[in-house]
Amino acid sequence: MSANVCNGCPAHDQLARMGIDVESYDHVVALAGNPNTGKSSVFNALTGLRQHVGNWTGKTVTRAEGAFGYKSRRYKLVDLPGTYSLLSASQDEEIARNFLLFGQPDCTVIVTDATALERNLNLVLQVLEITDKAVVCVNLMDEAERKGLEIDVRSLSRDLGVPAVPTVARSKQGMAELVSTVAAVIGGEIRTSPLRIETPAGVSEAISGLVPLIEDLVPGLANARWVALRLLDGDHKVREALLSGELADLAGSQHASAPQRSSRITAIAGAQ
Amino acid sequence: MTVWGILLAAILTAAILFVPKAGLLALWNRFRSHRDRTRSEDALKHILAWRQRSGPASLESLAGSLRLSPSTVLHLATRLETAGWIQCGAAGIELTPAGERRALQVVRAHRLWERHLADDANMPIGRLHQAAERAEHSLTVSQVARLDAHLGHPQHDPHGDPIPSADGRVASLNAVCLNDWPVDMPGRIAHIEDEPDAVFRRILAAGLRPSQVVRVVEAHDASLRMQVEDAECVIDRALAINIHVSSARRDDLYPADAARLSDMRQGDSGEIIGMGPECTGFSRRRLLDLGLTPGASVQVVLDNTFGDPRAFRVRGTTIALRREQAEHVWVRPRESAARMEVSR
Amino acid sequence: MPTSPEAILERSDSLRREIGGDFRDRMVGALYESAQQVASRSVRETGKRKWDFDQRVDRLVTSRSLGLPIMLLLLALVFWITILGANVPSQMLANALFTVEAAAAGWFDSLGVPLWITGLLWHGMFRGLAWVVSVMLPPMAIFFPVFTILEDLGYLPRVAFNLDWLFRRAGAHGKQALTMAMGFGCNAAGVTSTRIIDSPRERLLAILTNNFVPCNGRFPTLIMLAVIFVAASFPPAVASVAAAGAVVCVVVLGIGFTLAVSWALSRSVLSGEASAFTLELPPYRRPSVLRILYTSLIDRTVFVLGRAMLTAAPAGAVIWILANVTYGERSLASLAIGWLDPLGAAIGLDGVILLAYVIAIPANEIVVPTMLMCYLGGSMMIDVATYDEIRVVLIDQHGWTLLTAVNLMLFSLLHNPCATTILTIWKETRSPRWTTLGALMPLAFAFATCFATAQAVRLLP
Repeated sequence: MSANVCNGCPAHDQLARMGIDVESYDHVVALAGNPNTGKSSVFNALTGLRQHVGNWTGKTVTRAEGAFGYKSRRYKLVDLPGTYSLLSASQDEEIARNFLLFGQPDCTVIVTDATALERNLNLVLQVLEITDKAVVCVNLMDEAERKGLEIDVRSLSRDLGVPAVPTVARSKQGMAELVSTVAAVIGGEIRTSPLRIETPAGVSEAISGLVPLIEDLVPGLANARWVALRLLDGDHKVREALLSGELADLAGSQHASAPQRSSRITAIAGAQ
Repeated sequence: MTVWGILLAAILTAAILFVPKAGLLALWNRFRSHRDRTRSEDALKHILAWRQRSGPASLESLAGSLRLSPSTVLHLATRLETAGWIQCGAAGIELTPAGERRALQVVRAHRLWERHLADDANMPIGRLHQAAERAEHSLTVSQVARLDAHLGHPQHDPHGDPIPSADGRVASLNAVCLNDWPVDMPGRIAHIEDEPDAVFRRILAAGLRPSQVVRVVEAHDASLRMQVEDAECVIDRALAINIHVSSARRDDLYPADAARLSDMRQGDSGEIIGMGPECTGFSRRRLLDLGLTPGASVQVVLDNTFGDPRAFRVRGTTIALRREQAEHVWVRPRESAARMEVSR
Repeated sequence: MPTSPEAILERSDSLRREIGGDFRDRMVGALYESAQQVASRSVRETGKRKWDFDQRVDRLVTSRSLGLPIMLLLLALVFWITILGANVPSQMLANALFTVEAAAAGWFDSLGVPLWITGLLWHGMFRGLAWVVSVMLPPMAIFFPVFTILEDLGYLPRVAFNLDWLFRRAGAHGKQALTMAMGFGCNAAGVTSTRIIDSPRERLLAILTNNFVPCNGRFPTLIMLAVIFVAASFPPAVASVAAAGAVVCVVVLGIGFTLAVSWALSRSVLSGEASAFTLELPPYRRPSVLRILYTSLIDRTVFVLGRAMLTAAPAGAVIWILANVTYGERSLASLAIGWLDPLGAAIGLDGVILLAYVIAIPANEIVVPTMLMCYLGGSMMIDVATYDEIRVVLIDQHGWTLLTAVNLMLFSLLHNPCATTILTIWKETRSPRWTTLGALMPLAFAFATCFATAQAVRLLP
């Protein structure tokens, strides 16, 4: 299962032009999270000095990429802009959302601040609406302890339906477990069943009216309910994706093999 | 020598006059075509508005509205008829289907631009109309489509007018004139007419804004005394003609035990009830994303040298907000919240 | 029959109209309701609330009476550490690099390489590089880590919080204070740091006005002038305080210009009200040394120095050519000075200063050495050892007055951004219009202000 399968595909040319080496990676992992959660500490702790900082193509938003290895597999880590949400359509949020939706990373690590879990879970729940393959990294556990907060990570993990890993990224505590959990989620050893938020009051009929239509048009789409919610909110990127057939492509590739996916990601990243 | 001088001068003059795009002639042509576009579009808008209000427009009404001389208006009308946009009949001037589509496009551009200025640039409602009157004539159809997508396909402009869809459908306004609204029944301001400007300004000065939930406290012959959020105002019935109201729940009224977040003092805490309708667009979305949703508890934690902004503790984080944002957040102060618990 | 995308959109649009305008409110409300439920089950307060410490610190650094003084004190401390700490390493670097230059030039001569190649390569390009490295590297290697410590600690958002009121008055964003602080290190880095401002209009304001904060490259000029002209007219006991006071005055003036220009721009080309202001004040955190070193040295210092070196080498070559190529009897430099003199005189400066600024467009650091080279009629940039020597050159030999010094300080504060910064503005805005405005507007201000001062002084009896 190596990316070399895709040597001839057009995405590769685009990658080469971007100076990104995709051939040596087996999986792509995205790093999402609120600002001020120590996300960059997690990024640094995972990648060490193997990182490359540039801009998202055509945008003045910093984009950091790095790599780490685990059990002879090589992982590419893409640091998404720190955002509070994926709904407001600021430039940062759009980049993060588009990468999660269209890039389809093999796994998404959502970094949260243990001292303000409630606020951070807002973003976690939104990411879980888009993708199943996620790991919640509960960072700054030391700060939480200092503030007299006790976090029951197992209960959190059970409620969210995805693994949660306590970490102190600054002193590299919990990073090994984070990496092995990511690997297990990608490898399928850990099965996830993410929590989906309750339908907002008064719109359940609208949702149940739309979801069958979307599933009918794009069979196999994993997040039809989320697409319906976005359409009701007037999200123009999702509208466009529906019209242009991009969503249908996504549903198709959700069953495809990982290497094709990882090359897709970088292609999308280039198209940002 | 003189010959060369004259030749040079001639070439220079010709260049200044005829250089494509930047020459004086090109500038003049562009000015004229823009002026023509502005006049035609204003005329179509006028005919559309006139029809909705009082029947077919006439050359006189057109001249009055566009402030043009009768001969210019005649010329304009001929041009519009040749273009197939209007039909001049015995009853007056009527729009053809093509002309109506064009007029609705202009209305759509106008109202979307107002929405954009209100949401993205935070422009006060009193200045929107003027700015949009200029912008509506230079936007292309594709620009308008992109603006619509960017704004998340809004349905109403900041005054409450429905925004026509791209294919020219207009939602109807289900609202009643404020003068006919029953006393004490809560109503949401669905629309405030932005013309004439002087009337609009007086309505704004009284503190009324679109989307507010209001209540008529007392109805007099010439005026209405109203509850508007945490204030009361008296408004002339003559002004109330330009305000339309639709039904609202009693829960949407500004609660009697509420306070504005901006009025709380350092150390005070409370529970968020909701956010005023004046806070729209990115500003509102950002506050929601930060967790200022109904039910969240909030505490004023920091003041600073100038007294603005102030910092609030909400959902485990400290967020600084300016006064102009904090005043849109409605809060039930902690003591009264506790009392509510007991009475339940 | 399969559903078409258009049909789905149409259905969703009509449903959206039925639902009404507060869908987003309800959606976020539902998200937070779920978040609250999950969090309440997994987070437990043990009662050992030690975090009052954070709040006490916050109360102090944002307090009505002490907030601003503490902030100014910290700013002064950062400057003091930077200026004091950079002095010695700067001198050592300069000595080392100039020794290399002399040795290399000597070696070239012994090999019989033509004189002009040696001159262009070593006395021109290398000397330009050496100057920029020795003047810029030590202060940046001190300033950026200290700045990053404050950043990592979480103090900077409090600065934005303290100052936002002033910026709001100017139609700008409180975070502009942070980009300005960054600008003290380097304007290019300051322009890049405007990315923290998330509304486009206010971000553009911060980009266009960042130049009014004097950067590391301009501080040497300001300090030199303050020492030679201001300090000299005070008794020795308070001389250094007076000099420091003069520099602070210039900085405050720069901040005043920033606010005034932001105000003017937000009422003209960039009209609009200040949009959504939300600023999170994260808890204080112990800075991590490795991260500070990495961000400040690799991301900032090396990055900025690299760009400066890229522009300094060619500038060095140009200076050498101007000083050594002659047309008729005179060098190109002295010809250019002759042309620029009348313009210089009109704004209370002279041709040499203007020429130095034209040459120094790539990097502001080389203004002083270029000026001295021209005054002394030398053929390469000159480092004069002591301020006393410079005083003799400027006042006794070339007729500088207090007006020249004041105007040069103003010009140095206000003039066009260096090439690196202009390039950065272009990269950040991708707009020829804003880049041009960002480059020319300060220049116009510099000329206008200096002209006004010069005329006012000359009108006085």
